Amino acid sequence: MADFGEITDGTFVLSPEQQAIRKYGFSEIKASGIPTVYHVGDVVNLPYGSGEISSIEAIGLAWAAFSSGITPA
Amino acid sequence: MAKRSGSSFGTFGKTEQFIPNGVKPIRTEFSKGSVPDSIYSSNRESAWSRWRRGFELYCNTLADNAYSYSFDYAIPLPPGTVIPPGSNPPKIPGVFQGFPTKNKEFGMHWAGVRTAGSLRFDNIRDSGGNPSPIASVTEDENYWYVTLSGAWSASNPLPPPLYIPPVVIGGRTIVPAQYPINGEILEDRIITVGGTPINSDTIDPTTQKRYGYTQAVLVATDEKTGLLTLQKQGSVESTPDAAFKTPATTAPHVGRFLMTGTRYCCSCQDFTRRDFAYMLGLGKGNQKVFPRTNVATIKPGRYEIMRRNGKVDNSAMTSATVNRGMEVIAPEAEYNIPPTVTPNSSVVPGALRDNPGVFRDFGKQYIRSTPLPSLEGAVSEGMPSYEDYATSRNPDGSYNITSLTDFWTPLLDELRYCKHIYAMKFTEKVFPPEPSDLPVEMGSITEWEQNLVAQASKDNEKAGYNLASRGLSIMDVPPYNCQAPMMMPMMQKLFNVPSTFVLMSGFTMFDKNGQAYVPAQGGTPGVV
Repeated sequence: MADFGEITDGTFVLSPEQQAIRKYGFSEIKASGIPTVYHVGDVVNLPYGSGEISSIEAIGLAWAAFSSGITPA
Repeated sequence: MAKRSGSSFGTFGKTEQFIPNGVKPIRTEFSKGSVPDSIYSSNRESAWSRWRRGFELYCNTLADNAYSYSFDYAIPLPPGTVIPPGSNPPKIPGVFQGFPTKNKEFGMHWAGVRTAGSLRFDNIRDSGGNPSPIASVTEDENYWYVTLSGAWSASNPLPPPLYIPPVVIGGRTIVPAQYPINGEILEDRIITVGGTPINSDTIDPTTQKRYGYTQAVLVATDEKTGLLTLQKQGSVESTPDAAFKTPATTAPHVGRFLMTGTRYCCSCQDFTRRDFAYMLGLGKGNQKVFPRTNVATIKPGRYEIMRRNGKVDNSAMTSATVNRGMEVIAPEAEYNIPPTVTPNSSVVPGALRDNPGVFRDFGKQYIRSTPLPSLEGAVSEGMPSYEDYATSRNPDGSYNITSLTDFWTPLLDELRYCKHIYAMKFTEKVFPPEPSDLPVEMGSITEWEQNLVAQASKDNEKAGYNLASRGLSIMDVPPYNCQAPMMMPMMQKLFNVPSTFVLMSGFTMFDKNGQAYVPAQGGTPGVV
């Protein structure tokens, strides 16, 4: 059985003990069944410099302008 | 030695079918065979079938992944926006993935991916200019309630695009308040402002253990309190063991910043729930076709018209310097058309669905039924549910449409995925969980899967051959096709910007060597 945070190779399957004690945050929810286990995903890095407009700001500007009937420059 | 019939895997007998005496499925006159809750329909609309076929498609395109077009979309800014000189313009990165198909006249279905992290919350600031990480999280059975740090109030609400204030003129609300980000997948993967998002393998230097993160769909935004409601249903967690599991059992982490997850959209008939008219018969020369809609299949619903300089323009591709506008036509009904989709939205009394040559069927939608974490044993997606429209009866016996199921708003992850989206998820190694609505009465699954493998391989070969031998001369290619009637709605949903902000000039494409070129400036991919 792998421990919390231990680095395992490949897909890791929860042990019965870990399944028995899993809970949803702090709520009192009971769950049963085996959780679906995925493989490792990907990541995209989009850091930006200070003063730059981020994509989320730009989309915000676009939507706000659009509400007032303004089209792109 | 006795000769064994069949393939080298041996023979598999067909399972005996259980046929209850006298009970037969309803067959109606409609071409697809049945009413929406019949057994045939549930088999046909099964999410499992799409998941399984998506995996086949993924395996089959691994060897032949030639039709993927990476892009950066520069978001056009409203006039007067100041960007510091030398800085990078805000961009949305993504990929167009083409799936050769024999069912479409240009031989290709185009699907789109907007990559994770294209919108980051670490640049959202409150009125005091402070960044807004997650301040606290509470939860109930079905939702996490994530409060963003900051002094939010009615006079200092959350900034756009989380909340777009209504436009009120003379006491009348002209444009209602909008929440364009509702429906996006959010992930708590940003630890520091401007920092690189963590992934499943990133290790926390202070503890030497993996961070782990949680992914969930944003369903509601309270601009006055900075409260974001994330749905536990369908959420995914990357555990410190670097395994993904669903539904997530850990709330988003306090102190981190949210960002958007990967978003998929497809232009195929199955995802858009629309049938194309097949206008161009390859090899049929100048045969004239007049598309029409069968009267029995006309139902009310919304459709789009592309116009260029006021004239309808349905061309598949245009020059990269030409822009078309999208008009959304809605039938007369009291329903919530986002005035937001396009400034040209119009409500036309009596508008039904005959937009010949483009689509035939509109409106009906299949929605994923992701498991509720509060249900015991519910871990994988079940049978999709069906949404269309509702009516009310008038005193004179006629009917009024009171609501249309509306999927313009970006609830992409609530729509049932098509096999192309499943294939793309497999490609990204984000293995989607197996839906539980296995088709019934299908006989031997081994036999079915062997047929599927053979069929997928044969179809792809055929489609690839058609495309290579004939289709390449006529096929549509991104970004030139991005304002075609089929692609523009997809682009608008994928980017989640108003349609007037989907401009051809925004596309920077990347060729096979990763060299950038801008089609609107005459750029072309490298030839070596």
